[in-house]
Amino acid sequence: MTILLMLIPLSVVLLAVSIGAFVWAVRKGQFDDLDTPALDILRDDPPATPTEADDDAR
Amino acid sequence: MDQRVVHSCYHCGARLPPSPVFVALDGRPQPFCCHGCATAAQWIRDADLGDYYRLRSDPGARVDAEAADLGAWDGKELLAEHTVPVDGGCEITVLTDGMRCAACAWLVDRALERTPGVLDAGANAVTGRIRIAWDPARTRLSAVLGQLSMLGYRPYLAGDPAAERQRVADRRQWLLRLGVAGLAAMQTMMLSEASYLDFGHHMSVPTRDLFRWFTLLVCTPVVFYSGWPFIEGAWNGLKRRHLGMDVLVAGSTLLAYFASAVATVRGGPHVWFDAAAMFVFLLLLARLLEQRARRIASAQVDTLARARPVLAVRERADGARESVPLSALRVGDIACVAVGEAVPADGELLDPQALFEEALLTGESHPVTKRSGDPVYAGTHCRETPARLRITGIGTATRLSQLTRLVEQAQAQRPPLAQLADRIGAVFVGGVLLAALAVYQGWRLVEPERAFEVALSLLVVSCPCALSLAVPAALAAASGALARRGILPVRAGALDRLARVTDLVFDKTGTLTRVHPVLEAVEAFDGMDEARACALAAALERDSGHPIAAAFAGEEEHLAVESLQLVAGQGLAGRIEGVDWRLGLAPFAAGRADDGQVWLGDGTRAFARFTMREGLRADAADTLRALRALGLTVHLASGDGAAAVERMAAILGIDDARARQRPEDKLALVHELQARGRTVAMVGDGLNDAPVLAGADVSLAMGEGAALAQRAADLVLTAPELMRVPAAIALARRTRRIIRENFAWAVGYNLIALPLAAMGRVTPGWAALGMALSSLVVTLNALRLMRRSREEHRP
Repeated sequence: MTILLMLIPLSVVLLAVSIGAFVWAVRKGQFDDLDTPALDILRDDPPATPTEADDDAR
Repeated sequence: MDQRVVHSCYHCGARLPPSPVFVALDGRPQPFCCHGCATAAQWIRDADLGDYYRLRSDPGARVDAEAADLGAWDGKELLAEHTVPVDGGCEITVLTDGMRCAACAWLVDRALERTPGVLDAGANAVTGRIRIAWDPARTRLSAVLGQLSMLGYRPYLAGDPAAERQRVADRRQWLLRLGVAGLAAMQTMMLSEASYLDFGHHMSVPTRDLFRWFTLLVCTPVVFYSGWPFIEGAWNGLKRRHLGMDVLVAGSTLLAYFASAVATVRGGPHVWFDAAAMFVFLLLLARLLEQRARRIASAQVDTLARARPVLAVRERADGARESVPLSALRVGDIACVAVGEAVPADGELLDPQALFEEALLTGESHPVTKRSGDPVYAGTHCRETPARLRITGIGTATRLSQLTRLVEQAQAQRPPLAQLADRIGAVFVGGVLLAALAVYQGWRLVEPERAFEVALSLLVVSCPCALSLAVPAALAAASGALARRGILPVRAGALDRLARVTDLVFDKTGTLTRVHPVLEAVEAFDGMDEARACALAAALERDSGHPIAAAFAGEEEHLAVESLQLVAGQGLAGRIEGVDWRLGLAPFAAGRADDGQVWLGDGTRAFARFTMREGLRADAADTLRALRALGLTVHLASGDGAAAVERMAAILGIDDARARQRPEDKLALVHELQARGRTVAMVGDGLNDAPVLAGADVSLAMGEGAALAQRAADLVLTAPELMRVPAAIALARRTRRIIRENFAWAVGYNLIALPLAAMGRVTPGWAALGMALSSLVVTLNALRLMRRSREEHRP
């Protein structure tokens, strides 16, 4: 049963880490807008055209 | 798709003018309605943001070719009032009305990120808000906003920045509370499970205490951080000597927590951390669900900021014009209002004549001609010619503000249904607390060591969790179902009242009828044929922006008009294929006596007469039939004249139709019906309807109507489809049935669980589980509302 002495604190540490990650994400505004970022993935790679020249923002 | 492209602007989807602008994009010429749209599209393409056109689900907003004067945004006063300092610059939140879908937000984000001097930007399509952080040393705000308005997103000042920040902070705080509760409650349950699974009590006392101490550690943030709103609510309730649900929730949570903490320290036989944590998490979830539905609904109609412009154009003594914030406008100033703009404050007209659309204030559907010295009201729109006014009333002295106050008063008088629910809750809570106390005392006599546990079980098992979940869960589900049909419940409790409606009062203009008139009949004279007359009229009206233009919008004709002239209050004149034409009132167009119709002529001879009529909405008749099928009585109360109202009532078969109704009259009608014991729903759109919308038991506003009307309404129809009204009522009635089922379940559950708990047959753990299952049943039942309505949605 001594394994519990390690496993339980470990689970609590994991909990603390996950809560910390959640807090960070909320503070960063990750949940503020759940619609717009979903569009990014739908975007095609830029075609090999001269417009690629001003593609610096990505 | 390609066929549409030929007829509509590539950017905004508007009908193309006779000479569209063609710009080559990707080697293919695309048509645009104006240079503004063309420039925007070109910029989007050049910035490699062309995906916007693929991602969007709605066409963009029309872009004005002439850049608006945004200089006032750089004013010190405005910046000091509305910005907050951030690292390296300032931040401001602006509202915009052009954002229609997520693709717009995406485009705005990308476009602003590339603007030099902008540090950070975020656009939210749901709330229509754009947050911009910029470095004042590198760019001016007006330049950044110029970029926005070049893309068709005209900026408006959002409300109080402190309130804006508070909104975001509140939202995040709730999310944090829920997240912490979810994660930690799960862990608390897992740790508690260890002792539940120890059926034979083989676990050694030190191991058991180890589990308990860690459960205490994990449970603490759930109770005191996530559960803080309940504790705060209970405290506030107790201070006001009011027993709400919060008192019971906070009471049993804290009792379970502290008793468990004592048991942990002293080594007592039982702990109840799991009950406390699960309790908080489930209730928080229910409360958040309801809040979320309400917030989305109200954000979409939060357009009051647009009822009045933020900036006014003031004429200085030397005749020069400057753009100033509304707050800088003083009585006696001379303000200039451009065509299509809203009047910033009450004033008197200085020009000999001008047209103002007062539909928002008076319900009058046609623009009203004002002469020199006539009063002009804030919030009305200037038509056809620009106007100069001397300001006579600002801020709270305006008619708009007075109407706003009327709304607020009516709202304050609304029968406080919520208080009734609270009172029932208070009685219930009081009863449960007394029962728990009695049970505790009773068990003290019989079996003192179990007294606390039994009392706690009673508190937890009887907690009106299912009761308090029953309403919000059903309402949230119904709100979701309604929102998908384009009906936004703006106020809590609206659905409940909608379900009990017996009478409906309709406003006419803009509600049963379309905002713009339709062409009813064409008579042609002097060898002119009707089609040609319509074509000429359509060509003349096309670019005038007059409400009547919409009546001719269906005429597909591309005649070129030269030297088009607007004559305020009379009509318009223009040259088509070498002939001078006049369109408008009879004296102006044809040299005849005015008969209220629109004439086409050359100034002396008449060629055609167009009879205009207010267009009934296509689904008005079907809607009234559906409403009668639901057993409702329909009334019509309109600000228009008797003839128009009677005709409308005859067509639709409405018995009770009243004409020339002022807002006060409509309110009196509603009160009269209410006095007869009827439950009244009001459907309206104008600002004049706002007081009566607020005074009715439940009110629906048309989404294209005035922002203030929407503010006063309980529900807003996002698209002008009247069929949504009976749909909403049917859904509301189903919601009420589901809520009743939920209540029946909750009461039935308590009738079984309470005696069992009082007899000591339920441990707090089982009580918490029973409570959770009961809540789950209630929630699932509520979710049926969404599923069933979707089935119904399919034809």
